[in-house]
Amino acid sequence: MISPPVSKTSSNVLGRTNDPLEYISASRLKCFQTCRLQYFFRYVARIPTKTSPALLVGQVVHAVLQAWNLARWRGEDASVEAMANAFAFLWESKAEEQKMQWKTPEEEATEKAKAWRILEHYLQNSPIPLEEKPEAVEVVVERDLLAHGLPPLKGVIDLVRGGGRIVDFKTTARTPDESQARHLNGVQLGCYALLYREATGQPELGFELHHLVKTKMPKVVVTTLAPMKLQQIQQLLRVMESYVAGVEAEDFVPSPGMQCSFCDYFTDCQRWQGSPLPR
Amino acid sequence: MAIKLIGNYAKRLGLPGYSSHQFSVSVETELTDAGDIQGEASRIYDLLQDAVDGEIQQTGFVPGETYGLSENGSNHRNGGVSSETPKPAHSNGNGKTRWSCSDKQKEFIGKLIAENDLDPDSVEEIALDRFGVGLRQLNKLQASGLISELLDLCGKQQRSQKGGKR
Repeated sequence: MISPPVSKTSSNVLGRTNDPLEYISASRLKCFQTCRLQYFFRYVARIPTKTSPALLVGQVVHAVLQAWNLARWRGEDASVEAMANAFAFLWESKAEEQKMQWKTPEEEATEKAKAWRILEHYLQNSPIPLEEKPEAVEVVVERDLLAHGLPPLKGVIDLVRGGGRIVDFKTTARTPDESQARHLNGVQLGCYALLYREATGQPELGFELHHLVKTKMPKVVVTTLAPMKLQQIQQLLRVMESYVAGVEAEDFVPSPGMQCSFCDYFTDCQRWQGSPLPR
Repeated sequence: MAIKLIGNYAKRLGLPGYSSHQFSVSVETELTDAGDIQGEASRIYDLLQDAVDGEIQQTGFVPGETYGLSENGSNHRNGGVSSETPKPAHSNGNGKTRWSCSDKQKEFIGKLIAENDLDPDSVEEIALDRFGVGLRQLNKLQASGLISELLDLCGKQQRSQKGGKR
């Protein structure tokens, strides 16, 4: 029997703090790059948001994959049937934890079916053999960046396959474009490279992005990436320096764009009048 | 009544290649003249600062820019976990093997064992089973995995104890 994993969202694993610069994380960097005002609402003002059905689907899919990886690591039952049980438990507990308010019972049933469909497809078609033992599952790692005058870097790595192949799971509504995927995930993977090298003393073997595509016919698309080059690491450090300078200067301005259509803070943003933001 | 004056001076400096080093010196002295605390404190401060500054200029090994950032992966371990040859743990010169993970992780593992009354041999077994190396040889990544596992184990124990009391 698979024991459902302890909930490990980045906030509860890495710790919540009122100082946005107590540590750097890939999600903080990404949010700041997307929109500085969104960053302010999320990490400085800490305005709570409602969990959308798509976010719940992503959280549950991620939790089941974590249970699957842990089961393989522990040599426990990692069959599709065992994961179906873990999924049923995790769906209920996550929906309760997030206080989900469904418009109709049918809405929940549709989302739940969608989540299981993509998971079942992944488990049946995963590029990872069932008998393969992971090197690490959902590990919390930290790296001191004091020498660069930066706060420490913290992160949680989904999965490390044998030899140091770092895997990150993504749920997406559209089939990803390979070069876009490389470009859009560069900061996150660069952070993982820094963390992995610090934690093991070895360079990573490479990266795999496992995209679980929520199309009518579910798909699994794997993007493989080479180990981070020195130049990419230097670019990342430059991004971090700019991020720290921006947060220290409280330079929180909006970046209107495509991302606004699914931003949790759209209403708060419209109320923003350009004045300095209260903490 | 004797008056003691205790002073400590610490300095931590950043170094290239993501590293830093630190050094501190402490001193404890008994004051002969209770009326000159300010003067004695100032003297000790100067003394300790000189001592630290004199030593901290010796940087020892400083990693170069490419240290740990190898691009070609030629020094990779190949194959699965079981075929890996773990890095030998360092010896501290007393014949005892030093832990390879961070001090914080080592302390936390010790705390989990003590507070939850875990059998150290069983924890060693878990490390060997999951990572193929003993507790002292776990790197930081492996230690993080073991900590998650122990937290899960302790959570299960607590849940079953609560269940038993019902």
